[in-house]
Amino acid sequence: MFIFTLRRFNLFFFTMLLLTILSFSLSFLFPGEQLVNLTGQINATPEQLAVLANEYQHQAGFITQYFNYVSHLFHGDMGYSMASHLPVATEIFNRLPATIELTSVALLVAMFVGIPIGFFAAIYHRKTPDNIILGVAMIGYSVPVFWLGILAILVFSIQLGWLPSAGQISLLFEIEHVTGLQLIDILLSDSPYKWQAFIDATRHLILPVIVVALAPATIFMRLARTAMLEVLETHYIKAAKAKGLTFWQIIYRHAMRNAFIKVIRDVGLQFANLVTIAMVTEVIFSWPGIGRWLIESIYQRDYTAIQGGLIVLSTFIFIVHIIIDFVYAALNPLAREPRHGA
Amino acid sequence: MARDKIYQEEEFPTPLMQLWHNFKQPPVVVIGFGCFLFLIVLAILSSLITPYSPVENHLNDLLLPPAWSNDGNVSFLLGTDNLGRDMLSRLIHGTSLTFGLSIIVVMASLIIGVIIGSLSALTKGVKSSFLNHFLDVILSIPSLLLAIVIVAILGPGLENTLWAIIMVLIPQFVHITRNAVKEEFTKDYVLASRLDGANSFRILRYSVFPNIIEKLISQATLAQSAAILDIAALGFLGLGAPIPMPEWGAMLANGIDLFYIAPWTVYLPGLAILFSVIATNLVGEGMRHALKVRKEN
Repeated sequence: MFIFTLRRFNLFFFTMLLLTILSFSLSFLFPGEQLVNLTGQINATPEQLAVLANEYQHQAGFITQYFNYVSHLFHGDMGYSMASHLPVATEIFNRLPATIELTSVALLVAMFVGIPIGFFAAIYHRKTPDNIILGVAMIGYSVPVFWLGILAILVFSIQLGWLPSAGQISLLFEIEHVTGLQLIDILLSDSPYKWQAFIDATRHLILPVIVVALAPATIFMRLARTAMLEVLETHYIKAAKAKGLTFWQIIYRHAMRNAFIKVIRDVGLQFANLVTIAMVTEVIFSWPGIGRWLIESIYQRDYTAIQGGLIVLSTFIFIVHIIIDFVYAALNPLAREPRHGA
Repeated sequence: MARDKIYQEEEFPTPLMQLWHNFKQPPVVVIGFGCFLFLIVLAILSSLITPYSPVENHLNDLLLPPAWSNDGNVSFLLGTDNLGRDMLSRLIHGTSLTFGLSIIVVMASLIIGVIIGSLSALTKGVKSSFLNHFLDVILSIPSLLLAIVIVAILGPGLENTLWAIIMVLIPQFVHITRNAVKEEFTKDYVLASRLDGANSFRILRYSVFPNIIEKLISQATLAQSAAILDIAALGFLGLGAPIPMPEWGAMLANGIDLFYIAPWTVYLPGLAILFSVIATNLVGEGMRHALKVRKEN
């Protein structure tokens, strides 16, 4: 387990190294002055620029400059947004929780819906339910997410009027900003309208979560189906059959657990894809998250914001990857210590 | 068709022919492949078969619904948009933009990816391990975010988005080529031609590539459905094709304000994207199925 952890942290370190190099080189690649791109001070006077150049050691070699940039990052200084003139770090940490909330709820929904359906399809392999599920899955991951979002708003918000179409919560409720995660903040607050606020926030969450979760859920369906089919071919299932267990006993006690582990391993890889979908969905549902902010930053040529957003969003994805790796290791002794196998 | 055995020697089909033989078995795949070819024909012939120019305004027929509704006009089969442009013509022209360009994008990144991938499969040690880690980092950044960063460097516009998507797609081709080439290099037939004195490039060209091409094609179909969705998404976000261009994503974004009074301006481009992605995915699905069948035999 110790070596497993060490290896993961080694990978994380290397990844962060590459990511910071990438983001540092972006300040040279973006149009305009490199120092201005890095700090976001577009209206600085020549004197202020001289101070900044000194602070970022602009005259020194690239390597010194890079380490200087990294030390600024460690102090939480990502420069100032060119559009709003607020620190990028503040802007990001006001918006990141909304994205974390949307993506993590969507990931859970996608897993809890997709994986059981995939198992179901595998159990009825090459029969009608399997074919129907495969067909639906094919449409599910082919549908363009922005179109799906618009249709969902038209049907459920405008025509049926069931669910709200924009934002995170109705403006009537005033929720204190504690963790930034809306649902947790509401539960922590001592407002008399706590439950109304909670229900309202949940209603706002439903449509975006469904739109984000659809494509990953269909991918999980296919992964779960393949994993289950593989497991049902193995020898220990045959042994269980030979012992005289019924089909459903085999499925519940042996096949499902082993197939689930195989799916968990691939969840991390799908997360980057899910974040991409969430970024577009945030634009459509006016969700106050980091994806919408990044896309707006492009319209405003806010290069400092794009740089900061790239680092924070990618770090978030890597952290989720590592968490999922640990969950996988916790569930599967084979991944933890090779001597359990073989 | 039965083939009379006149000649003594047996004819072995190439890997690509075997793939085609297995590929055409399931009927649904053949339908998908038919739709795929239909889209290619539309993309090539778009300027010949469309009734109107995609930017021609018919100011007397603004927001005309499709011909099957009561207010429709049969000379505008799928209706018109808010500037009186014929939807059918725009959709067909959009095929050559969204669908046609996605094929070009995938081919470009396939070629670049295969070159880098086979070079990296031939190198060993620190260089190769660095490249591997670098690719892993790039692969785990969301594709749209990477495309946004590249668009920010190059500036918005259709051509720049295409470059961005090419760059986003390259790592997966490098990855798959590298793994496939490494796998083939451990096999005996490669050893045999090495003992015959072939150098690495000759082995790559004559022994390895014919055997991994179907893996690359199957990856290319996956990449193409991603490319269609990315081109359309960037067009929708206003970072790709400029508004007057009949690119499907940009058309959708253009129709969004009129969604309630003229829903066909949003339904139709969305359906076009869905149709082309499904056709591409069906072809890819058939390809992977054929590969699996061949592996089992």
